[in-house]
Amino acid sequence: MRWWAAVEWIDQLLREGQKSVDEVEVFYVQGRSISADLKQKKINLASASEDCGLGIRTIHKGRIGSSSTNDPAHWKECLDAAIASGHLATSLPWEGLPGAQDISQTPLTFDPSMKVEPASALALLEQMLAGAEEHAADVTAGSAGLSTATVTLANSRGAYYTDSHTGVSLSLEAIHGQSTGYEFDHSSFIDKVDPFHVGERATFFAHESAEGKDVTTGDYDILLSPLAYGELLGSVFIPALNGRNVHAGRSRFAECMGKPVADPLISMYDDPFLPGASGSVTWDAEGMPTRRIDFIRDGVLEAFAYDLKTAYRYGKTSTASAVRGGYGGSPGIGHHNFIVDGKRGDVTDERVIYVHSVVGAHTANPMSGEFSVEISNAFWMENGEFQEPIRTAMLSGNVFTMHNEIGGLSHESRAIGSLILPSVKINKQRIIGK
Amino acid sequence: MPNITYYDLRHVTGQITHIDIDNGVFESAGTTFFNKAVLRVISNTGWGILQIDNYQPCTGRKFDELLQEACKLSAITQEQVRLGDVSRGVLAVPAMKEDPRSVSIEEKSAILAEIEKGAIHPSVVNRRANYIERVEQVAFSDSSGNEYAYEMCRSGFNVLAVASRNGNTQMGYEREHSIHGFNLRQHRDLGKKAADIAVALLDAKGAHGGKMKAILDPELAGVFAHEAVGHASEGDLIQEGNSVLKGKTGQKIGNDLLTIVDDPSIHEFGFDPVDSEGVAVCRTEIIKNGIVNAFLHNRESLAAIGNGVAGHARGMPGEPPLVRMSNTFIEAGDATDPEIFEECKNGIFLKGSRGGQVDPGRGVFQFNAEYGYLVVNGECTGMVRDVSLSGEILTTLHNIALCGNKRVMSPGYCGKGGQSVPVSDGAPTILLCDAVVGGSGMD
Repeated sequence: MRWWAAVEWIDQLLREGQKSVDEVEVFYVQGRSISADLKQKKINLASASEDCGLGIRTIHKGRIGSSSTNDPAHWKECLDAAIASGHLATSLPWEGLPGAQDISQTPLTFDPSMKVEPASALALLEQMLAGAEEHAADVTAGSAGLSTATVTLANSRGAYYTDSHTGVSLSLEAIHGQSTGYEFDHSSFIDKVDPFHVGERATFFAHESAEGKDVTTGDYDILLSPLAYGELLGSVFIPALNGRNVHAGRSRFAECMGKPVADPLISMYDDPFLPGASGSVTWDAEGMPTRRIDFIRDGVLEAFAYDLKTAYRYGKTSTASAVRGGYGGSPGIGHHNFIVDGKRGDVTDERVIYVHSVVGAHTANPMSGEFSVEISNAFWMENGEFQEPIRTAMLSGNVFTMHNEIGGLSHESRAIGSLILPSVKINKQRIIGK
Repeated sequence: MPNITYYDLRHVTGQITHIDIDNGVFESAGTTFFNKAVLRVISNTGWGILQIDNYQPCTGRKFDELLQEACKLSAITQEQVRLGDVSRGVLAVPAMKEDPRSVSIEEKSAILAEIEKGAIHPSVVNRRANYIERVEQVAFSDSSGNEYAYEMCRSGFNVLAVASRNGNTQMGYEREHSIHGFNLRQHRDLGKKAADIAVALLDAKGAHGGKMKAILDPELAGVFAHEAVGHASEGDLIQEGNSVLKGKTGQKIGNDLLTIVDDPSIHEFGFDPVDSEGVAVCRTEIIKNGIVNAFLHNRESLAAIGNGVAGHARGMPGEPPLVRMSNTFIEAGDATDPEIFEECKNGIFLKGSRGGQVDPGRGVFQFNAEYGYLVVNGECTGMVRDVSLSGEILTTLHNIALCGNKRVMSPGYCGKGGQSVPVSDGAPTILLCDAVVGGSGMD
């Protein structure tokens, strides 16, 4: 369905909805994706999907209703379900959806050269496998996927925006004896991923981590790779910056505005306009114009993230932080490109334990920040060189307080989903050996 | 039409009803609808798979066009996929005691609100309760003429209480999910239980890391079985060479008293009347008396590596099925709780779980308890919080010293390959020697 064909029913839906409720919002997604999976070194399956779905939100006297369906022909039933859902919701302060605004609709994450075709996935897998040949380890599994999607947001206040996205993602798993390696890459732009490097790193970590030695229990300076850091940051620290969690009593930062919450070296911000970043967007999931948000500047907490509903409820201003995981449900508070930044330096001039990834980050306590995870592909590291691997150990600590023990940020950053992170050196963290 | 050796189609329609209450405010409540299908074709080599949103059942030329589209995808595959011979049959879905659809959303909301209000306490700063009800109509057909259809309803709720004092924030979390019908009425006290745990944790100490004896309650021991053995026994991982259990059939990796089973046929939260490839489901004893006995399979992994039965393929609506666990458990032994505590003498008693994770190729797993108690001279003493354990698949199972005499199952969800499916895990209370406990607690 071409987008102008969609206009007719969207306009009908908005008109119909306004007969019953104060405001109506429609979020419509159409997409196409291709992926191919390896089983060891051979392609085992190729899949394609045609996705479509619409989410409807209605607001009437402060009561918000929502529903969704992936059958646009049944938008009337979906609208009825959204209105019925609103009857059950508690009435909250509401000052209206945003009207039409002068927002650039030039897509920031669309690559017209990306071909969402099986042959593209095949080429990416072949390059990953070529990279994997660099080290003596066996490929166990891998995947390459390409996607394109068009998103339309319209509301009864006159906002009507469309945006197009493309995406490419790669991953490869390898094993050498009983030592595993995993690497991945993703981008909105086909020439920004490096499939050869993904393959090379996967077999590198599998091969080089073999025959690791144990480490004795104690406190050590550690270097978290962007992946390991992102796993801990995403499950604990970032939710504490969510305005709804703050006002609901679910954030450790609730009473910390204006206070130091991290080493002065650290700044954290959301930059929705970062060129080439996969979360870049000019309007949020409610049609608010996006802007940079400085959450933590030089270690001091300066802002929380808000969507319209939370902002109206608590007398704040939306930070255009509404996001949707898909077409279903209501928008929630999130971020676009979450960046950890600060003065960069050499983080391996002294001997550290490098941790490439962790097992069990999602079991961290999201309220207190305490965690104990198994470390993966860990090495002693000095002067930028991987030295002897560490066989197995646990890392225990607190995601919040470890930000007061920062020993430095690496020169390079890397995208881990919508997080853009350096490697982070953290002093004196508890390692439990076996 | 290209040379199609096999195809199957799994079409799932349904609706999801949810209620979300946050600190007494009804944030959202209502119903969403979905219609998804997955068409899988084997043509010459491997799988060509179409994932179809809003599928309209069709036959004749229109269906042939879909098959051809899937064949085009299959054309880039290189591996010769073969499918194992399997048993057929569909189990009856157990009747629900009270069909959630017969209860108005207003009544559901009122009972959920009562549960949420149960968490009110002077130290509790946030209460949140969610109800979820998922009804699926499933239709399967394949090129061999097999067809089945069934309807399943899963429903349940979670309640969270967050307690805070002087910057110390802790949480209590309770959940109940079921295939047996509406289950809010009989669990009205769980909000209070969540609050009591959250408040008690304010005075709990952080655990000390190190090796010690650990008593695991049935819920946590079930997660242990799921992470330590279940994933590593999945046939697709064995086929890829990404499990330490590959080639270990017949080898002893655990104590004689240890038997670990996956059984999609029992009426727990992971029940499947038939698997996502149209294969009859049955019990698989993965570990039998400490010995690696059989793997979990789909048709492809069964043909590739054998040793076990198919019937363990599960997929979310519209997604290709993967080899998955269903109801995974450690069989009960004969030890009583007092015997387990007496044998432990000094160690830690761990309860509840926030989940776990495993690297099956490396054979290393981690799982987490919600809270626990230090055991001194066989008695529970001070409360501890945020306790994780890690272990190695090929050695840790030897350290199960005792299995209790009563098995309890707990419902949950398990993620793999971007798909989340309902499961249950269970076990009796177990005693684990030389458990590696993570924690940075200080005196």
